[in-house]
Amino acid sequence: MATVTFDKATRIYPGTDRAAVDKLDIEIADGEFLVLVGPSGCGKSTSLRMLAGLEDVDDGAIRIGDRDVTHLPPKDRDIAMVFQNYALYPHMTVADNMGFALKIAGVNKTEIRTRVEEAAKILDLTEYLGRKPKALSGGQRQRVAMGRAIVREPQVFLMDEPLSNLDAKLRVQTRTQIAGLQRRLGTTTVYVTHDQVEAMTMGDRVAVLKDGLLQQVDSPRNMYDRPANLFVAGFIGSPAMNLVEVPITDGGVKFGNSIVPVNREAIAAAAEKGDRTVTVGVRPEHFDIANGEAKALAKDEPAGVAVTVNVVEELGADGYVYGTAEIGGEQKDIVVRVGGRQVPMKGEVLHVVPRAGETHVFSTSSGERLSD
Amino acid sequence: MRHRKYPFIVGFLIVPVALYALLVIWPYLQTFGYSLTDWSGESTVMHFVGLRNYTALFSDAVFRQALLHNVLLLVFLPVITILLALFFAFMLNVGGRAGTGGVQGVRGAAVYKVVFFFPQVLSIAILAVLFEAVYRSDGGGLLNGVLLKLGLEDPQHPIEWLNDPGLVLWSILAILVWSGVGFYLVLFSAAMQSIPREIYEAALLDGAGRVQTFFRVTLPLLWDSVQTAWVYLAIAAMDAFALVSTLTPGVAYGGGPDYHGEVMATYLMRNFLYFGKSGYACAMGVVILFLTLILSAIALRVTRRERIEF
Repeated sequence: MATVTFDKATRIYPGTDRAAVDKLDIEIADGEFLVLVGPSGCGKSTSLRMLAGLEDVDDGAIRIGDRDVTHLPPKDRDIAMVFQNYALYPHMTVADNMGFALKIAGVNKTEIRTRVEEAAKILDLTEYLGRKPKALSGGQRQRVAMGRAIVREPQVFLMDEPLSNLDAKLRVQTRTQIAGLQRRLGTTTVYVTHDQVEAMTMGDRVAVLKDGLLQQVDSPRNMYDRPANLFVAGFIGSPAMNLVEVPITDGGVKFGNSIVPVNREAIAAAAEKGDRTVTVGVRPEHFDIANGEAKALAKDEPAGVAVTVNVVEELGADGYVYGTAEIGGEQKDIVVRVGGRQVPMKGEVLHVVPRAGETHVFSTSSGERLSD
Repeated sequence: MRHRKYPFIVGFLIVPVALYALLVIWPYLQTFGYSLTDWSGESTVMHFVGLRNYTALFSDAVFRQALLHNVLLLVFLPVITILLALFFAFMLNVGGRAGTGGVQGVRGAAVYKVVFFFPQVLSIAILAVLFEAVYRSDGGGLLNGVLLKLGLEDPQHPIEWLNDPGLVLWSILAILVWSGVGFYLVLFSAAMQSIPREIYEAALLDGAGRVQTFFRVTLPLLWDSVQTAWVYLAIAAMDAFALVSTLTPGVAYGGGPDYHGEVMATYLMRNFLYFGKSGYACAMGVVILFLTLILSAIALRVTRRERIEF
């Protein structure tokens, strides 16, 4: 058990100017499950490989517990890794695969067998111990890869998109299994994924990366409720948050026909920088359908924004309306969640009002969050 | 449809099969036929002598010695070549990793790969000329020159690499290894590159050092290529005709000194063309053919393992 610290860790691939991972600064607590998430090429896998010792660290440091492991070879770091394609040894049986590290470490045979069998029991692999990887299904291979990590009882687990080769249903199932297993073992875990649903459901904390830069580290709840900038706001959540650029007005921000309250100082700060607009973010489920009831800014018009329905996705419990609205003289795409029993027809016009206290305001130029 | 299918297939196969039968199968059969006669090669007159040529072979001391030499080559050539090629391929592809930075070859691997392949592009004739210079028995030879400079040998009695009964076979073996390693290095490199990088990385994380990675991960995964290499090299070891005939001393087709460099192929040719004992030579040819066939079958059978899938 140990903490993991990225201390301004930087990786610049030879022959490139831009850092693949730029001054990454994260403190991971003992026993924590941290998920690194971001679009492809954001440096999340590189960060993990730097921690594993498979990638050089050009600047800064990485510590596991109190030990500086920045330049230690992988075998001295006391970590275990689960690879995306599992990287099982094809010529060894499941038992040999799981016990390989112990065998290399010179652990005696009876103990290896005990530990392998123990891990196999946890992962429901007991009957497959004598098989070669090629005789296993994708899900079983994935579990063997997990088993290989567990058997070693390392200080830190590293997982590099371990679920992306599984089919959708198995992925959901394995997701909870891995999260449950991690809670049970209490081993510090760093998990890389490009799937924000995985990130939100599995992690104690989530770190969002973009272009090698850390955008935000927070609990899934806070990440969803208070995204630190435009990128995180658009990346976390599915369907994505509606982000609309609107002009700054007195007392707040005008969104369609209603006012979104924003901290005065923040608006002032944005205006000072020369911004004439800010970007308002509203999640699809935070639109209320107003049928002339809400207080309108101009008396003769209905409240909120008029959204013309283009497509309706019915998911059973609820539905998502994909429509367009004219905001500030421009056509904008807007997604609204509606109840599963009150789904509008295509071509209808909905008047929607963002729910008070559930709006996000970001600076248009810097992308920083302005509202609290 | 059945009765129409076969004429169609035969139509395509008839020409190549006929050519193969005429140019490959028939000469084999002819050789076997001649091996039962006392044919002298030049004349068309020959008499059937039964298996007398074969019985004579077994009591022929020179042939037995040549056979022994081929067996020695057979033991050492594949082992040394494959081990060297495997070692180099491993170092060039995954062996270099001091500290962190994942799995990669030693520094300058790309250059070494090209340099090691050079011997493969040389024809045997050039090889012979080259090694005549290397093995020259005076100070002008590469080996003797160096040894003299280092003061490791007596200038009055330099080592006669190709004229020393105890050294000639090993000198030939060295050339065969030198010229073969590059090719098998490339073969094994290609095979190694088809192994997913993550497997090496997993081994690295599991704490395996270079040696352990090589024996427990790389070698088992390369087994198919090693097996193929073994068969090729075994066949090459049964031959060695060109180098022995051009480099070693002897009346016709080398083989000296005093048959210490003799291999079956050179003895065959000497009997066939020089001694005029063509029937006897054909019997030798038949024996060599069967030995090679048996060897290949054994090599493939003994080394057979379960196929590996990634």
